[in-house]
This record gives sequence, C-alpha cells and structure tokens, in this order.
Amino acid sequence: MEKGIITNIERSSTVDGPGIRTVLFLKGCPLHCLWCQNPETIKLYPEILWNSKICIGCSKCIDTCVKGAIKLVKGKLITDRNLCMKCGECVKVCPSGARSLAGKIVTTDEILTVLLKDKIFYDKSGGGVTISGGEPTLQDEFLNELLLALKYNNVHTALDTSGFARWEVLKKILENVDLVLYDLKQMDKQKLYEYTGCNLDFVLQNLQNIDESGISIWIRTPVITGYTQDEEGIINISRFIAKLKNVKRYELLKYNILALQKYEWMDTDYILKKMHPPSEAVMRKLKKLAESNGAGEVFYR
Amino acid sequence: MTVLLKEKIGPSERIKKLIPRYLQLIKEGKRDLYYDGVLHGIYQWSPGSASFVPDTGEHAIPTEERVVVGDHDARVGVGYPFPGRELPSSKVGLKHDPENWAQDFEYFLENNPAEIYPNEYIVGEFHWRFDEARELKYPEEIDALGMKAMKAGSGGSSLTHTCPDLSIGLSLGWQGIVDKVIKYRKKYEKLGEKKQASYLRAAETTYRSVIRYIKKYANKAKSLANIETDKDARENYLKIAKVCENISTNPPSNFREAVQWIEFYQIVDRMIGHGNGYGRLDQLLKDFYIKDMNEGIITRQLARELIAEIYLKYGGSFFALAGRNEELQDNTNELSWVCLEAYDIIGEDNGVPIGVMWHSDIDKDFFRYACEVLYRHKAGIPTLVNYDVMRESEIYSGVKPEDAWNVSYSGCQWYCIPGKEYCDQDKNCIVIIQCFLQAFNKAVEKNIEKFEGLWNLYCQEVENALIALRDVKNAEYKWQPLVWPEIVGASQTHGCIEAGKDITDTGTGIYNYTSVNILGLANVVDSLFAIKKLVFEDKKITLQDLHKAVNENFAGFEEMRREILKVPKYGNDEDEVDNLAVKVANHFIDLLKSYKNSKGFHFRPSLFMFMGHALAGPILGATPDGRIKEESFAQGGNPMHGRSVNGITATMNSMAKLPLNKVIGGPLQFESDPSFFAEGTNPVETIEALITSFFEKGGVQVNLNIVSVEKLRRAQKDPLRYYNIVIRVTGYTAHFVNLDKKYQEDYIRRTRFKTAK
Repeated sequence: MEKGIITNIERSSTVDGPGIRTVLFLKGCPLHCLWCQNPETIKLYPEILWNSKICIGCSKCIDTCVKGAIKLVKGKLITDRNLCMKCGECVKVCPSGARSLAGKIVTTDEILTVLLKDKIFYDKSGGGVTISGGEPTLQDEFLNELLLALKYNNVHTALDTSGFARWEVLKKILENVDLVLYDLKQMDKQKLYEYTGCNLDFVLQNLQNIDESGISIWIRTPVITGYTQDEEGIINISRFIAKLKNVKRYELLKYNILALQKYEWMDTDYILKKMHPPSEAVMRKLKKLAESNGAGEVFYR
Repeated sequence: MTVLLKEKIGPSERIKKLIPRYLQLIKEGKRDLYYDGVLHGIYQWSPGSASFVPDTGEHAIPTEERVVVGDHDARVGVGYPFPGRELPSSKVGLKHDPENWAQDFEYFLENNPAEIYPNEYIVGEFHWRFDEARELKYPEEIDALGMKAMKAGSGGSSLTHTCPDLSIGLSLGWQGIVDKVIKYRKKYEKLGEKKQASYLRAAETTYRSVIRYIKKYANKAKSLANIETDKDARENYLKIAKVCENISTNPPSNFREAVQWIEFYQIVDRMIGHGNGYGRLDQLLKDFYIKDMNEGIITRQLARELIAEIYLKYGGSFFALAGRNEELQDNTNELSWVCLEAYDIIGEDNGVPIGVMWHSDIDKDFFRYACEVLYRHKAGIPTLVNYDVMRESEIYSGVKPEDAWNVSYSGCQWYCIPGKEYCDQDKNCIVIIQCFLQAFNKAVEKNIEKFEGLWNLYCQEVENALIALRDVKNAEYKWQPLVWPEIVGASQTHGCIEAGKDITDTGTGIYNYTSVNILGLANVVDSLFAIKKLVFEDKKITLQDLHKAVNENFAGFEEMRREILKVPKYGNDEDEVDNLAVKVANHFIDLLKSYKNSKGFHFRPSLFMFMGHALAGPILGATPDGRIKEESFAQGGNPMHGRSVNGITATMNSMAKLPLNKVIGGPLQFESDPSFFAEGTNPVETIEALITSFFEKGGVQVNLNIVSVEKLRRAQKDPLRYYNIVIRVTGYTAHFVNLDKKYQEDYIRRTRFKTAK
C-alpha cells in the first residue's frame, strides 16, 4: 500500500468542485507562487508551525527539543529550521495547541476511511472528493492508488492542479479523475515564470491535452492585486478558454488575507503581506470581461 | 436558483399595506415574551412563577429583573394592564376550581375589545394573557418540591406545547361543541357525577363566552361598515361581519371562514398562555380549499393571502405541512404549496414558525421548494423536520400506530398527535450537567480511581434529579386541572368532554407522557471523555487537580485547560467520543422510560434547551470539559459552541449517531456564514442534499440560519437599522435585536460553518 504526506482534510466544502465535497490537501509543490495561500504545503516533508496567538508561554517545547532548536528571543519562539528534525516531540508536549505539525504521513486506507464518511452527502449533492495541495501530482503513486480506490467506491473525483507535471504522469492520474480544477494564473510567459517558476507553454499544452481527452475542466485564476489582477491577462485566458471544448466553468478567486497568519506560523516573511485583496467592483468587472471574451460561465468569490 | 413555482407570486397591495404594522409592533417590543429571571430559564420553573411572566398587571415584575425571550408572543402588548377590574373571583374569592376559572375567563373575554384594522380580511388579536388578569399560582406545597428539584438538578412547570385537533371544531362549530357539552353534562348529572358535571358547566360557560366574543367582532364589523364611505372597504366590513356571525356558532362553510375560525381559536387558546401548535394546516383546510376551488369562489392567490394573514397575526403559533397520511403515503397536496407560498409572499422580515415534515416519500419538488424558501428569505423558515423519525419515536413511547401516523410538528422541537396527546412538554428540564458536577464532587471526595466509578455516581445523580422532578410533576398534575384548566383546548380533544374531564386531568383517555428537556448533553460528554482520557487512561491530570481547576474557573490552570481542549470533542464524527454521547443518551432514555408519572405514563427526554444553556454558565460554574463559567453550555443535542471543527457533515454524522428515534425531538442548529453558499455553489441543492442526507441517517430536525457574525455585531450596535434580522434561535424564530443580550451573545458564539478559503 502506498503512503503519502498530507496537510489537511477539509470536510463539507462547497467551493472546490460541484456539490458537497471533502478536500484533501497533499503536501509538496514544485512551484513557488509569490502569493501562495497554503505555504505549509510547499515542502515535501513535515514542518513545525507555531501560532503565537494561542501560545501560553509554558516553554515545554524548549525543554523537550533534544537538538536545542527552539529559542525564546524577545518574547518570540524561534525555531531553527535547519536544526529541527521534524520529530514532532515539541508538538506532543505543547499543552495549548500552539505548536503543530504540518504534514502527516498516511496510508491510502487510512485516508480512504475518512473520505468515505461523507459518501451519502456526496451522492445526494453530486459532490465527491477533491484532491488539492500543494501540487498533488508530485505524489503520483499515492494519488493513483487513492483515486482508484475512490472510483472503486463510486466517488466523484476532482483534481486541483497547476498542471505542472509531465504529461505521462498526468495522463495516468487522469484515468480516475472526473473533473480537473485547472489553475491558469497568467498568460504572460515572462511574468508567469517570474512569479511562480512555471513554464507557460508547458501548462497550456497539458491543458489542451486534458481538453482533448474529454474530461470536464474548471479553469481557476487567483486574482492577486498587482500580479494577476490584470485585465489583459483575464482577456487572454478567456480567449484561450473559448478555444477549448470541455471547460464547464471559469472561476476567479479573490486573493484572501487568511494566508498571512500561516507565514507567521512558519516564521517566514510574506512578500505580499501589505497587499489588499481586490475589491468587489474589480471582481465584477473581471467577471464581465471574462464573459464577454468567451470564457463561458464565470463565477467569482 | 431553481424556481419551482409555475407562476410568479408576491403580496397584493392589500397585504403590502398590512405588513408594516406588524413590523412596527416587533420594533416596539410589543410581541416580546418574558421569564421572571435566570432560574426560570434554566429549571423551567422558579418559586412563585408557573409560567412565562405576565407583562402587565399586579403580577408583572420589574423590567430589569425579567429576561426577554424575544418576539415570540402571540399576543400584541399594549403596555397597560387588562382594564376589567371586576373579575368575578375578586368578589366571590379566587377558588381553585374550573367553574370559578371559567367565570373569570368569561368576564375576561367580555372585556377584551374587538379590533379590526384597515385592509384585513382575517380579523382578531388580543392584548392580554389571561394570567395578566387572574393570577396563575400553585399552592405552596409545590414551591417546596420545586426547590428540592432545583437542588437535585431539575424542574418543571406544566404549560404545554400540545396540539389540539382543530378538525373537531371545524366540523362541529362552537354551537355543536356546546351541544356536545350539554349532552354529556346531562349524562353526568343523571349519574350523579358532580365533579364531571361541574367541569362541563365550566366548559359550557367558556365556550358560550367564545361565541359571544366572536359575535362581538361581527358587530364591530357592522358598525365600521355603517360609518365607512369607501365602497370596497364597506363591502369588506360587511363580509367580515357575515363570516364572523356565521362561525360564531356554525361550522365554517368555506375556506375563508375556516381560516377565520382557526384564527379565533388560536386567540382564545393562546390567551391561556401556553405554546400550543395547531396541527397540519394543509390537512385541516384541504377539503375547504378543494370545495371552494371547484365552486370557483376562491383563487390560489386569495388562499395564500388569507393564510399569510394568520402568519402575520400570530408569529408565535406553529403549523405543520406535508408528512404522511393514514395509509402512510405522502400527504403533500396543493394546499401544502399554498401554505408555504403564503410565507414566501410575506418574506424574510416576518418570523413564522412553520415546519415542513420531510419523509422518504415526500414530493421532491415540494421539499426543494421548502429549501428554496429557506434560502431565499434566510430567516430559518420553514424549519425542516423528519416525519418518519417523529412517528417512530411516538411509537417507541407507546403511541398506537393507528394514532401515530397523524403526528404533527407542534412548535419548537415538539410534536404531538393532534387531539390525542397532552404530554406536558415544553417546560420541564433535567440539568444533566449539574448532575454531572454533583457526581464529580462526590468522585473527588471518594477518591474514585476508575471511570466506571464516576459514571455510576453520575447515573445516580441523574436518577435523583428525575425522582425530584417526578414528585414536582405529580403534585402539579394534582392541582393543574383545578388551578389552570385548559378548557378551551379540551374542546378540540378526543375524549375530554366525553369524560367530563379537563385536558390537563388524569383519566381522559389521551396520552399523557411527561417530556423533559435535557441541558448540557455535550458538556457532560466532553467532560466525561476528557476525564476518561486525561485522568484515568493517560494519567496526565489527577481528579483532585482537575476539581481544583474547575472550582477556580481554571484561573491559574490555563495549561491544563488547553490540554483538556485538545482532547477530541463530541460533534466531529469521531467514534470514540461520539459513542460516549450515545451511552449518555441511552442512559437517560432508559432511565426516564422506567419512571412513570401519576397519570400512568412514563417520562421521555428531549434533546433541546429553550434558553437555559445561555443563562446557566455563571450559576453552575466551570466544567471539566475546559468550559469556563462565563461561557454558555451546549444547546440541546448540539456540540458545544466552537467545538465542531470538521465541518457540518461531520457534525451531522455525530448527531445522527444519537438514538433520535427514542427521544422526543432534538434539532440540529446549522448556523452558517453566507460564504458557505458563495456564488456558484447551488445553495438550494446544497441545503436539500445536506438535510436529506442527515434525515436519511436518522436526524430529526434542522434549524438553518444564514447570517454573518459581522452583521450580527453591527446589529447589536445599531438595532434600529438591523431590526429585521430574523433567526431561528432554537425552537422558535425571533428578531435578533429583540433577544436578551445574554442570548444574543450565546447566539453569536455558536459554531458557524463557513468556507475557509
């Protein structure tokens, strides 16, 4: 049986594909989007998070760490992430829940048990399971086994991907995927590479391949002020969508500030910390632009 | 959004003119309902107060002492006391007997004005409850038993949420009822049964006074017609006069008369002061509707509007729709739609507690329409209940299947067999979290070393509380038919007049179970589980230290409290702790069933709390589940506030594990943030899928609210601007700003399901 590393399971989601869904977040991502909303999912190994707001300052973590990686500096707990072995001992002793481990290694069976708990809700609502990340295709063997098991149990499956994977890998994964939630962030090659490390031609080719294969697709664009909140970009994406056959919906996802606290928990600086999410008016306008340029059914939130 | 209606519906100009007055009444607090204080909220009883507290008159209490339940009163307050000063009992002396009661009630009705407002087709409202005129007070022996129960962790006052069978009155008419009373009175006189004969004399007095009360409306309408210059208005008054004149004695002859009959019935019934439901409206009125439609004397729009008028008039009353018929087939009919459309056209500013009774064969379109209405107005209306589970639970109680099919949602979380039940439900309570705390104290004293030891102590405490409750109830049952007979209700019951006995009496042949609210289920479960894990299994904390921490309200024990909060909690679909919830529930279900009241019927629990959970915190103190005393307790069978972290589906799964078919009601409060139904999510289909899944798993009721915390906070700061937020608080809907401050806070702090991203 395959093992995988996950960060989170979110039940009762209504926004990641049709119906009521459970979203499984796999850890590990080859991209480095400047605005990443789930920074704890980037590395392929577990990481320690520390939430200063609920820490009660008992210092049990400092005493427990055999590597001496945790230090109190000016009232703040600093974890030396090079020394840290990610053993999770500090998490175990932490009474407040301020320290937590992002990244849990699980077997397909373990995860399947949880995913099937809401089967009746999926069936009634036309929902299912969405696998997100990180970039889930990085853990393709685990993912393939899991998808197969879900299909065996008649669960609708959606894959939330940046498309940044070799076609052979993607193709195999798609055998058990009913819907692809495909991220299309920018149509400017240079900017996309600069902001995310992603190769535009490569992901567009994959998108066309998916479209050819006949699987339903929802295209999603994160709208990030100053990066992807760009009328020309949205128009170009919409025109590209217009040429595809199996895109059922285009979603514009407003940048949200919830991610900020995750960077703090990881002792990482967030480049975009001072940025404001786009306004309702901007979102409405982009939606209209997308619609008038052939993107089909467009939603934003 | 799906639109299932074949035509576009909305209020007529006439209805639009009626609505503002009702909203104004709510703004002015004229429909607010009160307790005499915190204790009554928790124990559903307090020394000297057997009911909701009168708003006016010599038995009212100072404004600052009372607790506002919200705009949940059927009556329209006018702010001054009942004007009649010459109650017969003030001359002959107040006696605890039905005839003395009925003479006062007759005088009370005679001195109630008949008021008719412009543009009304359906008329009638009242300004005083009967206990604002005649004192509702039990003999002192009850106070002593009540105090004893409170100490043990229970309490109760007998005013009920039963459901009269209005089909009796709709077919007999008031004169027919009087004739029936006379027939039986003569029989009992002949037999020399003085008590029965006396009761029936009281009944005759009561029902004749109802006839005169309705005639008063006919006369009022006639006199208004005489001075009215507008032709249409004049014709309307004459029509009202004709309707009232006819139904004052005769059974209604058409749909409009039937609706007006129900309206008057509700008035005289609600004057007595309880929270009755009035049954399956789409069944009661179906034949009138079909007949009028066939004869072409009514339109669907007119039918809608007539029903909308009773909704506007009686925010506090309850009706049920759909369910199954006697053959257990779907009972949804055209009138079910009309009754729901009636709410749909008056919309979100108005709180109307109607319940749609889902079952596995329900007309899918109708149920979807119910979900659509719920989403469109975002006011928690209708509440959705599971007919199949309700029926099963009535049968589990011992109700015969030939009666059980007619089960009707009757308000809050309650349900009844119309006209065949007086189950003393609404205001009884066992505060199991208090029982638990008492057991916890004893466990520390006795140095208990095993979980089973604590469990046994807890079981004993619950039993003690139940015994104390039983003693109070039996004493109340002895006095109730004498102190506060519900003679009006008896007229719509199968067997009371025949037996010459009041609906509250023993030996009427109807079902008389005692239903008991349970306070603090999730807190008991979370406390027991935390102790099991941290004290007895992992030995991280000693029972003594935990006891100290709880007594200190966790001050200086924050580390321990956090440790406790990390332990799994009920409501997250985690079997280990949910199974304990099932064990706790099964215990009190079996225990209550093993005790009988003086009427020969057993006790039965309901996973519900009206308001006590929001008030009891500071009085009972902190609890071993890490809850500090300033926090509310969990409400009914719901998880503790803020502890459902795995989503609404997980919470539904947890709750559905409880044996809801063996209790008498247990609503899930589904508090959602608008983001849960973001653009592109198919809200109506989502609601339908969530609720159908929950019901198929055995859930019994869902109260769904869709409002953001931010908006509620703004409403607290600027109540006049946000006066129109309607929420389904627990068993009823209320305007948020009309709620007591403590209750507003409790409501805001409940777990709100939203979309994280």
